[in-house]
Amino acid sequence: MMLSFNQDLVLVFALLSVLPPLFSFGLIVVFLRSSPGLSSLVSISAVAVSLIGAVLLLLGFRRPVELSATWIVTGHLSFPFGFLLDPTSLLMLVLVAGISLLVQVYSVGYMAADPGYSRYFAFQSLFAWAMIALVLSSSLLQLYVFWELVGLSSYLLIGFWYEKFSATQAGKKAFVMTRVGDVALFMGLLLVLLHTGSLGIQEMNGSDMASRMSPDLLTLSALLIFGGVIGKSAQFPLLTWLPDAMEGPTPVSALLHSATMVAAGVYLLARLFPFLSHAEAAMTVFLTIGTITMVMASTMAMVEKDLKRIWAYSTVSQLGFMIMALGAGGFFEGTFHLTTHAVFKALLFLCSGVWIHLYGTNDVFAIGRRGARRLKAPMICIFLAAASLSGIAPLSGFFSKEAVMGALAGLDNPVWVAAGLLGVFLTAYYAFRALFILALPLKEEKGGGDEKPALFRTMVWPIIILSFFTVVLGWLEPFLEGFLVEDVNIRTNPHSWVVWASSGLAVLGVMVAWLEFGRKGSARIGFAERWAPVRELFAQRWYLDHAYELVLEYVVYRTFAALCSRNDQKVIDGGVDGLSRLTVAGGRVLSHLQSGALRYNVALPFVIVGIVVFCVLLV
Amino acid sequence: MIVPYGHVLVLAGIIFCLGLTCVVARRNLIMVLIGVEIMLNGAAVAFMGSGLLWQRLEGQAFVLFILGIAATEVSVGLALILHAYRRSGSVDPDTYSVLKG
Repeated sequence: MMLSFNQDLVLVFALLSVLPPLFSFGLIVVFLRSSPGLSSLVSISAVAVSLIGAVLLLLGFRRPVELSATWIVTGHLSFPFGFLLDPTSLLMLVLVAGISLLVQVYSVGYMAADPGYSRYFAFQSLFAWAMIALVLSSSLLQLYVFWELVGLSSYLLIGFWYEKFSATQAGKKAFVMTRVGDVALFMGLLLVLLHTGSLGIQEMNGSDMASRMSPDLLTLSALLIFGGVIGKSAQFPLLTWLPDAMEGPTPVSALLHSATMVAAGVYLLARLFPFLSHAEAAMTVFLTIGTITMVMASTMAMVEKDLKRIWAYSTVSQLGFMIMALGAGGFFEGTFHLTTHAVFKALLFLCSGVWIHLYGTNDVFAIGRRGARRLKAPMICIFLAAASLSGIAPLSGFFSKEAVMGALAGLDNPVWVAAGLLGVFLTAYYAFRALFILALPLKEEKGGGDEKPALFRTMVWPIIILSFFTVVLGWLEPFLEGFLVEDVNIRTNPHSWVVWASSGLAVLGVMVAWLEFGRKGSARIGFAERWAPVRELFAQRWYLDHAYELVLEYVVYRTFAALCSRNDQKVIDGGVDGLSRLTVAGGRVLSHLQSGALRYNVALPFVIVGIVVFCVLLV
Repeated sequence: MIVPYGHVLVLAGIIFCLGLTCVVARRNLIMVLIGVEIMLNGAAVAFMGSGLLWQRLEGQAFVLFILGIAATEVSVGLALILHAYRRSGSVDPDTYSVLKG
């Protein structure tokens, strides 16, 4: 396919892929609030147009292009606004548009008859627009704007069912916790701007960047930017908002966990990879945070009963994998895992959504008992997705996880690869634990028959398409690598033993899950659940939320808030009150001058002036 | 100047003090207003004398202004007095003691 576009055509296609969802959002909000059918149609066609534009851009790609116009000029600083079309952004663009489209089609079935149907599609459009524009941003300031818009629209979608108190709480938690990271990101951006005078992504990734900032400042700004990634991609210690975000509708979770929102963090890291890799110390921090998150989230998933939360923890832990890969210097490995993960994680959520929609519960055991296995198509697809998540050959997850493990094995310290292998085992274990509970319940409720959601077909087709990509994406690895990395030979030598070890551990994880949850006569109790303190530790998310509460209680409420409140009451209120008391008292004293008799008041100034003049003359 | 300047000033001072006494002592607002007019005229006499002494026109000009102001003051003052009388039924300034501290 040899398409070649000139500059203008590229700009047209870029606009074509960015603008339609924005128009659709405006149209639905202003005109189509009361016609649900039309709003879903508008929203889906808008994102379909985006996808077409994205695919055309990808096929016609020759070399990185930056199209930008000046946005703000102030003093010697100028901020451009435009598109940066390079392999990373185009790959991500297609991914975002494609998964948004499938999720929106699926939502037609999932959200059918919901009173907020139009609102839902308006927010979906906003979300798609924000993420697409984020992906194509040419400068970090522009990226930051859309970064916040992505945060806003996920807040709106997580708290979509706002009548539910827990949903509004979860939305707020997601927004506030990601904001904590965003503050760090913004400080990092300011630091870079102050020292280099530019926030363009291409300039920052240029090779002379290391000479323009001192190493310490470079490390500091890399760490601050990573703060934003921690918030957005739910890394330790800001990881608990993501499981709570399960309060939103399931398609939203599918979108949130695969191509948008959490992917934005990893995308930023991959985007600035050449810049960040100048800071050695910061890269080690990325590696450490990724590892901690990955192991922690896997253990949490081992004892969880809520189906969506299991996948949420698995997202957190897979994001940990990606950040480990990027921290280990594996740009392609991290991006590749991001791509495959987006596809199979969306698939996992969409399959789970079919049962959640049908049975109205998130409990794995309850769904299993209600007869989940009678719905064949989602069941087969979810097995495919989970096998891909576990890294079982020949699905896409196997290829990307093997690549990540290869990058980790290339490091000097064997701790990282050991942690990675542990993660592979745990991932396979918790994924298949959930699936065996779903597919092989201890006792199944009789009756129910072959009930299906009303719009079963619109829900199943996106699932089947995603399953297809889950299977084939792995085989595209050499092609993608050639596309993303200019010089393919820079990859470290493949450590073939790692492939065997990680495949073996994945299979071992599945076997353990089978022994404990699948086998006839098994007790359906996992090894992590046997010992109460461990189970509690995992189920309480390592007491992270309690730690936040303690920090909030002692640092924020009892120290800062108390001091501010004291200052407000004593200094500010006291000052204002004192001033007014002084005024009143002064008025009371001076009011005695008003005798109520005009004559004295008229005479007084003359008398006083007379006395003064007399004194002056006397002196 | 035939009349010595000191005499003019003394005359002006006497007229001013007479007016002041009228303002302070009388119990009728109209008489108070007349007292104010007398005070203004006392000042006008002083200006006139000064203008003569230094042979400058400003003194006379000021007197013209004072006459004009006096006329307007009477008209405004009478209107105020009329209003005050309608409100309180009295023109005695001692009854207006609402602002007594």
